[in-house]
Amino acid sequence: MEQMRYEAPDTVDAAVALLVGAGGETRILAGGTDLLVQLRAEWIEPDLILDVKKIPELTEISKENGGFRIGAAVTGAELGEHLGVKKAWPGVVEAVELIGSVQIQSRATMGGNLCNASPAADSVPALIAAGATAAIAGPNGRREIPVEDVGTGPGRTCLAKGEIVTSIFLPSRPAHSGDAYLRFIPRTEMDIAVVGAGVSLTLDGGGKCSAARVALGAVAERALLVDAAARALIGTPVDDAALDNLAKAASAAARPIDDKRGTKEYRIKVSGVLARRAAQAALERARQS
Amino acid sequence: MSGLEREIAFTLNGKATVTAADPVRRLADVLRRDLGLTGTKIGCDAGDCGACTVLLDGAQVCACMTPVAQVAGREVVTVEGLAAGGKLSALQEAFHLHGAAQCGICTPGMLMAAASLLRRNEAPDEGEIRDALGGVLCRCTGYSKIVEAVMGVVSPGGNLLKDPGVGEAVGARVPKTDGLALLDGGAIFGADRAPEDALWLRAVRSPHASATFTLGPFDNLHAKWPGLVKVLTAADVTGNNGFGIYPDIKDQPVLAVGEVRFRGEAVVALVGDYGAVHGIRDEDVPIAYEPRVPVVGLDAALGAGARQLHQAYPGNILAHGLVKKGDAAAALAASDIVVEGAFETGFVEHAYIEPEAGWARRRGGRIEVASSTQSPYMDRDEVAQIIGIAPDAVRIIPTACGGGFGGKLDIAVQPLVALAAWVLDRPVRCTYTRIESMASTTKRHPSRIKARFGCTQDGLLTAHTFDGDFDTGAYVSWGLTVKDRVPVHSTGPYHVPAVLANARGVFTNAPPSGAFRGFGVPQASIAHEALMDGMAERIGMDPLEFRHKNVIRTGQATATGQVLEASCGLAACLDELRPHWRKARADSAAFNARANGAARRGAGIACCWYGCGNTSMSNPSTMHVGVAPDGAVTLYSGAQDIGQGTNTTMVQCVADALGIEMSGVGLVWGDTGLTADAGKSSASRQAYVSGNAAKRAGEDLRRQILRLANVGEDARIEFGSGRLIVRDGDAVREIGLSTLTPLRAGDVLVGEGTFDPPTSPLDGNGQGAPYATYGFAAQMAEVEVDMELGLVRVRRVVAAHDVGRAINPTQVEGQIQGGIAQGLGFALMEEFIPGRTENLHDYLIPTIGDMPEIEVILVEDPEPTGPWGAKGVGEHALIPTAPAIFGAIYAATGARMTRAPAMPDRVRAAILAAKEGAA
Repeated sequence: MEQMRYEAPDTVDAAVALLVGAGGETRILAGGTDLLVQLRAEWIEPDLILDVKKIPELTEISKENGGFRIGAAVTGAELGEHLGVKKAWPGVVEAVELIGSVQIQSRATMGGNLCNASPAADSVPALIAAGATAAIAGPNGRREIPVEDVGTGPGRTCLAKGEIVTSIFLPSRPAHSGDAYLRFIPRTEMDIAVVGAGVSLTLDGGGKCSAARVALGAVAERALLVDAAARALIGTPVDDAALDNLAKAASAAARPIDDKRGTKEYRIKVSGVLARRAAQAALERARQS
Repeated sequence: MSGLEREIAFTLNGKATVTAADPVRRLADVLRRDLGLTGTKIGCDAGDCGACTVLLDGAQVCACMTPVAQVAGREVVTVEGLAAGGKLSALQEAFHLHGAAQCGICTPGMLMAAASLLRRNEAPDEGEIRDALGGVLCRCTGYSKIVEAVMGVVSPGGNLLKDPGVGEAVGARVPKTDGLALLDGGAIFGADRAPEDALWLRAVRSPHASATFTLGPFDNLHAKWPGLVKVLTAADVTGNNGFGIYPDIKDQPVLAVGEVRFRGEAVVALVGDYGAVHGIRDEDVPIAYEPRVPVVGLDAALGAGARQLHQAYPGNILAHGLVKKGDAAAALAASDIVVEGAFETGFVEHAYIEPEAGWARRRGGRIEVASSTQSPYMDRDEVAQIIGIAPDAVRIIPTACGGGFGGKLDIAVQPLVALAAWVLDRPVRCTYTRIESMASTTKRHPSRIKARFGCTQDGLLTAHTFDGDFDTGAYVSWGLTVKDRVPVHSTGPYHVPAVLANARGVFTNAPPSGAFRGFGVPQASIAHEALMDGMAERIGMDPLEFRHKNVIRTGQATATGQVLEASCGLAACLDELRPHWRKARADSAAFNARANGAARRGAGIACCWYGCGNTSMSNPSTMHVGVAPDGAVTLYSGAQDIGQGTNTTMVQCVADALGIEMSGVGLVWGDTGLTADAGKSSASRQAYVSGNAAKRAGEDLRRQILRLANVGEDARIEFGSGRLIVRDGDAVREIGLSTLTPLRAGDVLVGEGTFDPPTSPLDGNGQGAPYATYGFAAQMAEVEVDMELGLVRVRRVVAAHDVGRAINPTQVEGQIQGGIAQGLGFALMEEFIPGRTENLHDYLIPTIGDMPEIEVILVEDPEPTGPWGAKGVGEHALIPTAPAIFGAIYAATGARMTRAPAMPDRVRAAILAAKEGAA
């Protein structure tokens, strides 16, 4: 029987070196909430499990350029207790807090949610809407890319061999802006999104929308940044007409599959309804900020 | 999966602990298998159910999702660490007093989640409690009493623990006699213990719904895996390779013979050490399948040229049930109003939180099987004929049962471990995974129903016709019971003069549909209640009053011509609901008049009836009460407690019948070597049937004692050390026990009681008296529907149940609250799809957040043949819930749901269709 190696380095450089040096399949262990299920089901049989929870850089939240840098292995519970992030990006925190139960919150991480690359990952549309970037370390040094570029399809990322996501950066929040994330599930909790919608928008002095980002989850092979939906808001007072246009654009962008949680047609409809409601929630926050 | 072991040091329940383990092994597995702390339960191994919740540095985590390396240097607390100095914590006490633990399998997880909350918040409100417990699934309680219990820690109130005096046990809210073990991790469930030297067994199951296959050879597998002791195949079955519920139908093979008929059917079983049995991949076992196009669904099975699943059942029809009273066609033609409808429901999974588990050990020519079960004696007879030995050579020792709901009436691990232990002469254990449990065990029958009712312009029912097809899956299981139960009950609890009801069981390549709380009646109730609403609407009558006018009353005949002589309390249930109903209707109308968003509200009502006991057949229960030479009184009860609390109610019955305090009655339960056959824990029969047997056993013992002491009826009995003291007025008699001759199990005095409910067979037209008594209920649901998303939230349920007499009101409420949770799941979210929903994140059951406020109203219209007037409640609890919710959706939206579950996309589509219809 194959022996699976377990390593828990305490620096990013050591982690990268281990990943580069490893033959065969490697997997990153942070909270383990996806990894342990995959191991148990024997969907994966890695040769190396790399535990990143001992790397301080990955488990800290720090201020940076008016925004926040959140270690990839920070748990949902830790993020939820961070008043600064919660105040600046309530939609992102809401989204992270929707990942699983209380028990899962104590374990699950934003980096894991991003890199597991489920099309239905809750935090991802909210991060995309927020304009977040992911910091990546690898054998060729470090780079920073928009979060929407990380996932490329179900279970697939753009990470090259030896690369890991070390942190996620949430930018400084502009004045008069707000974000929100809504997820639709048939049950009240602990379920996988049928549709998720994240919206972030900024108002100018006259109350018109000067900037917006809209993202949808669970309606395509990966989370989508929907520019057309954002354009429906920009330059408007985010009135009913604009919201109707936003909903239409969101529905038009959705390309979901039929499954037991909802038909394709239904999920397209829900994409519009949810995007509209998320925009209304974001608008309320922008007005109050 | 295997890695390199390393030492991991952490604090466990306050003690420094060092254990050597593969770093990525799950904490839950290390706690249970390496450290012997089996109080932490494994329900899903995927973070979906929360049963394995422990505290890690005070925060609740799923131990199944925590690699053991990550607890190094940290503090872990399990349920075993909650009590201090032999004293239960206030939280555990509260769970005990409030009846928060039913089967007890989720209890450790619930306790840890609540403990985590109380550590950081001494006085949480109800919302905070619900949030904190939201990650733990419970299938028994509907969460009500769990929330009450945590509230009870915050603000203890009332004297819930009533220590009843002599003659006061029946009707008292006593906590479970065997409840403490459920709270400290002490209760032993199927997966918790086995002999030290037990081998492990794992079944290899078909990934195909229909296929032929060939096996072997297994030499290479043995060569690669030295820990593999045996690959058990059909050829190893020493007796009959078939099992089934009915004595003459043993159609489901223990291990398949050349052909599989559903995905999840057992083909071979690997027996050996843990690493080998669990390390071998299914793909590496030499089974060569030739898949075929499976027969999926009723249309495929009934279509011309459909492949026959079984030669013995032409046309894939298992059987046909009929009830015919009067001339229904003529009566319908003569009716002022006729309504009709077509309805569909899908497979529903029991989703008990304890997957099937157990072990077996051969002792010479005998075998012992310990497992989680609802029916020890049925298991005994089944194992005996599979091994090919006499029934009394088999001893079934039930473990604590972590939920059943009908699903543990069929055997699962029992024949596999028994055969392996028999053949190898070594103890063998097996624990199903969640996926295996869901893929391979029975389901609720999917149904397709067409029904009609007629009534007069005044709203009096005249006639009913019913045609129902029930997908019974690949094997018979309880299919015959469903086709009998359904036409008997399809009128609903109403007096209908003319009835023609047909039900068929149909074979398909799906998991066998078996017994699930209600045996087809919940499916049929969706039809009859929708049509009651339809008739009420047509004649402009209030739905409650329409039902009230038609409920079956004492002196009226059922569809089977059985004249009910007593205990018809449904009109009283509706009377209790009336004020709630009127208020709910007014409240939702007012809400909708104001509403400008997407939300609309509505209220719905539904009634049910359900015959207690097996249909038209003898189903006796026998109990013994013995007195040992030292004066200890023991009840020997074979009535399996699956969480509903039978162990407690039986003791209550015996205490009052014998005339002593409950605390003086010891209990031996379940073990077929020590207890008589009490029949199955099914068909809402134990409180009624075994309650009677327990009462009679107690009365028999009391009679013997009074005769021995030669005293009158009113004498008081006490048991001292080695003696019996009987007081009759001023007279005191003492009888030494040590000199008496032992009669049974070392007891020197033995009372015996047997009860078999009086029924009569159904004739060719389904006429007869199939049940000795019926329970009744009416429930009302208030919902809020998001008209844009089709999402339904149930806000409140009021449930009025005629239970004859509540032997233990706390437990009766617990049954009803839990039944409502299952009914809500059936109505709104639960549908099993083979291969797609074989886990608890794709198969959704209600969480604490899905459950509404529930008010339970107990109506006691005594049943003369019941113990102190009691009859059953287990299944009634669930039956009216789904139709009440569907009625409420209709009231809120104008859309009549005809298919369960009413998933949001279906509700949304029905709303659109209703709008189009109206336009």
